[in-house]
Amino acid sequence: MMKKLYHLKSYPMHRIGVTVAVAIFMAGCASTPTIPAPTEQMAVSRAAVNNASSAGGNEFAPLQLKSAMEKMDAAERAMGEKNYVRARELAEQAQVDAKLAEAAARSAKAQKAADALQEDNRVLRKELDRKAQ
Amino acid sequence: MKKNRYFPMSLIAVAILSGCSSTPGPQNASLTEAHSSYNSARSNPDVTNLAAVELKEAGDTLSKADNAFSKGQGAATVDHLAYIANQQVGIAQETAKRKTAELAVTDASAKRTEVRLEARTAEADAAKRQVAIVQKTADKQAADLAAASANAEHDQIRLEAITAEADMAELQVAIAQETADKQAAALAAASSKAERDQALIAQQEMQLRELNAKKTDRGLVITLGDVLFSTNKAQLESGGTRNVRKLADFLKQYPQHKVLVEGYTDSTGSNSLNQELSDRRAYAVRTALIDMGISSDRVTTRGYGEEFPVASNDTAASRQLNRRVEIILSDDNGNIAPR
Repeated sequence: MMKKLYHLKSYPMHRIGVTVAVAIFMAGCASTPTIPAPTEQMAVSRAAVNNASSAGGNEFAPLQLKSAMEKMDAAERAMGEKNYVRARELAEQAQVDAKLAEAAARSAKAQKAADALQEDNRVLRKELDRKAQ
Repeated sequence: MKKNRYFPMSLIAVAILSGCSSTPGPQNASLTEAHSSYNSARSNPDVTNLAAVELKEAGDTLSKADNAFSKGQGAATVDHLAYIANQQVGIAQETAKRKTAELAVTDASAKRTEVRLEARTAEADAAKRQVAIVQKTADKQAADLAAASANAEHDQIRLEAITAEADMAELQVAIAQETADKQAAALAAASSKAERDQALIAQQEMQLRELNAKKTDRGLVITLGDVLFSTNKAQLESGGTRNVRKLADFLKQYPQHKVLVEGYTDSTGSNSLNQELSDRRAYAVRTALIDMGISSDRVTTRGYGEEFPVASNDTAASRQLNRRVEIILSDDNGNIAPR
């Protein structure tokens, strides 16, 4: 390795590339603090939580929404602590929790609508049958 | 030794096979749970059909988790990925449920339309039936009305006929009544006339009896005796006047009768004298009757002298019988049979 480094010295272009590579490697070794802040993921997750909330998650999937919100809060805290890996994880979990809450709310609403329609149909049919008599 | 040499290979094969069967190993609890729920979701046709994209996402994440696990990445990473996969399975399931419900809504809407259509159809049928019933009722009423009208007309005609018959009958009764009345009146008139005639006849007979009228061949003859005249005189005495008055009353009562006054004498004296005397006496009676109001044309006179004696003229009494005035009463037509 030293030999290679030495060999590269004579070529400045190569030296820069190696420096960059080493820096990347160093960053990779340091792991946590060096990765960028997951701002995009945070935004996406926040939007997901908001969507779940406006989709009726409070009513139809309160546990999942609560979990999403808590994780979102934790992610924000992790962001504040610059623990970006943790923040990303929490944000990702908050996103799926929120998505699940939204999906559950939507399915519950759809089910409610279907039940109501079926009940309407039943009543209408009954009325019709009574009329027909 | 041979057997021992192959044993590890068998283990490897089993490991490979088990690796193929989705579940990698029971080392990570959350990963195992994620696999379990993923498999459960994949066996649900609703999820595979309606939430294929979401299920694939879950599967991808699960593969990542498996990958992370097999590469020996930290338990935190595996847990995190397993958690996400698990939640994504949940999302896929909820999505499938939502779509099923949405399909149910669509289906229910279609059914509702169908039911509504049926309701409309039923309503239309009911309305048609109602119309038919109303029509039928109306027809029946019209028929009833027509029948009633025809009946009424028939009754009217019958009534008219009966009325006409009744009128006719009444008319006939009236005519019959009138006829009967007329007949009764006629009968009564006839009866009363007969009674009156009877009475008149009776009265007449009584009066004639008072006048000493006698029925002879020539009719009724009233004889005024000699005593009613003075001897050889044509002057009526008071008794004679009374008799003549009775005769005059009779003649006034029965104006259809005429009288012929005949004078007679006995055989004493000359014929011419007797003739003259008989004339004068008859004439005297006539004069008396005319004086009493009898029309002169109803009274004629005739003197017969001593002819037609009613006695022998031998004795004074019989001669007196011969001296007389006879008054012949005509029939109802005024005819007097001549002597």
